Amino acid sequence: MSHHETLRSLEQVLESFLERAVAAKAPRLDILDGINRIDDVARGSNGHSDLADRVGEWLAEYSGWLSDDNRLRPGDVRRLSEILAEIGDRLDNSSDNSPAAAKIRSELKRWTEGTDGVGRQLVLKRGPETAPPPRSRTVMTFDRLLERLLNRYRSLAGSRQHLLSVLEESLKTARVDHDRDALLLSGFIIYYLKLNSFKIEPYVQRLKQIEAIVREEQGHA
Amino acid sequence: MLKPEEKAYCEALVALKRKKYEVAAEQFHKAAPLFEENREFNLLRETTGLLLAVREELAKGQTQGTRESPEVIADG
Repeated sequence: MSHHETLRSLEQVLESFLERAVAAKAPRLDILDGINRIDDVARGSNGHSDLADRVGEWLAEYSGWLSDDNRLRPGDVRRLSEILAEIGDRLDNSSDNSPAAAKIRSELKRWTEGTDGVGRQLVLKRGPETAPPPRSRTVMTFDRLLERLLNRYRSLAGSRQHLLSVLEESLKTARVDHDRDALLLSGFIIYYLKLNSFKIEPYVQRLKQIEAIVREEQGHA
Repeated sequence: MLKPEEKAYCEALVALKRKKYEVAAEQFHKAAPLFEENREFNLLRETTGLLLAVREELAKGQTQGTRESPEVIADG
């Protein structure tokens, strides 16, 4: 067998292996891809009407998960509940009272109720769907925000060696994605650094610039 | 929310399914900090890398087979 033929044969074996490995993971990959897509929706929406539309599309495709008890693992349910709870908060805080947004809120409620029986040992973070008094609602909303910011911080921190690197990445995310959570996290880190006698003026300027962009966008949303 | 590395691993698997091996290799690289201890992850990542290396070697072989000698394309 020539060198070329050997390489061709090896190419076919490797490609065949990868095809079969991915095929064996197909059911899990469908779920992971679905979770990844709703995570993208939660991260990437630029306006509330866009958010309702994109969530609606996702729910239309994946609502079958609710009726299939064996598809989702407890970890999947936990992640989805976190993401959908965040989306629900954003819709609740928006001024979007369109029929589409109302429908999405109703679907998210159905989802939350439908996943209550899955993974019995897990506690879903989203509370009961009753109208809480205004004070506890703000406390609950801020509580969820802090959880999101902590998860975001841990994700950004990764293997970074210094908090300033984390701040750089957070500011970049806030600027590129017009991400309000990243903006808040950046402000928190800057204030922490200030209290620890770091020079933070350049970061404050950048934060203000990004804040202006995010505010303008929210005004147009 | 999913961690960036988790998203990257998912994107890598989707890319493998679509046979976009270069995209898969890039996403495996992004996912590595979180999954480098995972045997299955490493197997898929290394196999993808090896497939790309084999293809690159095959492409070099084809290029060398059609390369013209400098004398043929000299000016004048």
